[in-house]
Amino acid sequence: MTNLAPVLLVEDNELNRDMLVRRLNRAGIEVIVAGDGQQALDAMVSAQPRVVLMDMNLPVLDGWTACRRAREDQRISHIPIIALTAHAMESDRLNALQAGCDDYATKPVDFPGLLIKIEKLTRA
Amino acid sequence: MTGSNQTTTQTSDLLLRALVELRDTFAATQEQLSADSLDDFSRLFEGGRRLETMLARAAADIDNHDLMNIFAAIRGYAELLQEDLGEQQVQLSDSLARLLQALQSAQPGSGKPRDSGDKRVIESEPGYILAVDDLKENRELVARNLSRIGHFVVTAASGEEALRALEQSDVDVVLLDLLMPGMDGREVLRRIKEHPDWRATPVIVISGQQDMDGIIECIEAGADDYLFKPFNQVLLQARIKAGIERKRWHDREEQYRQQLERNEKFIRATFGRYLSDEIVTDILERPEGLELGGDLRRVTIMMSDIRGFTTLSEHLAPAQVVTLLNRYLGAMTDIIMAHQGTIDEFIGDAILAVFGAPQHRDDDADRAVSCALEMQAAMAHINEVNAAEGLPVIKTGIALNTGDVIAGNIGSERRSKYGFVGHAMNVTSRIEDLTAGGGILVSDSTLKSLKGDFQVGDCQELKVKGIEESIVVHQILGSAP
Repeated sequence: MTNLAPVLLVEDNELNRDMLVRRLNRAGIEVIVAGDGQQALDAMVSAQPRVVLMDMNLPVLDGWTACRRAREDQRISHIPIIALTAHAMESDRLNALQAGCDDYATKPVDFPGLLIKIEKLTRA
Repeated sequence: MTGSNQTTTQTSDLLLRALVELRDTFAATQEQLSADSLDDFSRLFEGGRRLETMLARAAADIDNHDLMNIFAAIRGYAELLQEDLGEQQVQLSDSLARLLQALQSAQPGSGKPRDSGDKRVIESEPGYILAVDDLKENRELVARNLSRIGHFVVTAASGEEALRALEQSDVDVVLLDLLMPGMDGREVLRRIKEHPDWRATPVIVISGQQDMDGIIECIEAGADDYLFKPFNQVLLQARIKAGIERKRWHDREEQYRQQLERNEKFIRATFGRYLSDEIVTDILERPEGLELGGDLRRVTIMMSDIRGFTTLSEHLAPAQVVTLLNRYLGAMTDIIMAHQGTIDEFIGDAILAVFGAPQHRDDDADRAVSCALEMQAAMAHINEVNAAEGLPVIKTGIALNTGDVIAGNIGSERRSKYGFVGHAMNVTSRIEDLTAGGGILVSDSTLKSLKGDFQVGDCQELKVKGIEESIVVHQILGSAP
């Protein structure tokens, strides 16, 4: 069963956010957006996205914290999160996974790879 | 990013230059673009402007996170546009490719090139690729990636579809996902490797990292290569290239083999009418044997013709003559070949055959005599058929002589044939002149060469023009009682 709920993109940089929205839309994926960690948690509760793409460097509430909180919240703990990590640094990825992310993609993201990750996490 | 660094400055320059170039190309071609692409371009250039502003600042003032995001956005639009424009806008695609390359080398926070961002393109002969995957996204991803570098990609969403695609076209490489509902990749692989026409088509299997056992199983079942999901695009291109080369190599080999087979068939069909299988095989195996030249051999020569044929044919229609001749020569040819004789030529109704060349056997003379007897015996049936069709009864005379001849390819470079020359040939011809219809005359030398017993009749002496001594000929009446 394919989950048809939208994908939530959490990104504070509007240039990069618009780009990803456009690319995802072009790939036939509906996207909703949030600009910081708190907005992200709110949107997860209200929209129940099928997967969250979350930048880690976020204002108000950073991605790692938002991710940990999402995992403690029963209403949204089941929603998979793909961390968009800023640097190709091993520690960033580990931090993201430790915070409860299901997968990660390093920025600038390899878009086809990202599509596969989304597909993988929302299948079954 | 350390802006003071010399290398970084250079790569930033490269990046800015790439942006300027892209703007120029865009300005020249924008009328041809779709609204979507125009929008993408305007956003890309907006990113470019921000990047320029940012890079103009002092290094210490640059926010790495912002810079990285701008890079990411520009790259994202460039990739998106490259996918959308593809080969329709070659110039723009080239400019985009250069921009992506510049981004790659200027990318902040990445000292070494990243795998997934690798924009190298593997140059390859274009191929016909069948991508089998039940996931639409994966099929499209592969199709985009491979068609961008010139391959022709067809996709199949299931094992069944894959087999249909294979039936319809000559596929160079199959890219096969293992995990599919219905007929899975293993079964598709098995069927490909069992099919005589598909067996040589390279198969690259794709599976998740966790399915190492599945991959090993497939390699054992005949898969040529494998990739783990999610796979690196450059690696995919490289493996596709290797697959295509393997297939092309096999195709060329197959073509060459078929050409050889055709040549051999042609040679057999052409020469097989005159030469026994052995000579043809000999020629095929030793083509140097076709060089002009020959050697001295002791052979038994056979000459035969239809008595009074010239007179006979004057009273017949041309078509009847041909029917008569073909029937006679056809039957005689079969008998001569069955006795391993070499038919040198037909001259009208006359047959010249040789026993003992190109291959000598101890019973050459015996086979020649047996052959002659069988030829005479066959005349009864030929005449029966002739009579039924209102054709005249014919009689043949056969002369045999054993002697030394030069056997080989005689003639000019343009036209030569395996043939025989020598005095023994002339002698045979003289004996033939003496032979009565239905009779067989053999020279003394042939008689002396015989190992088996035959019923021998009268002998007579024959004066041959051009030679001093006369020769003795004997009548052969039948095989030993």
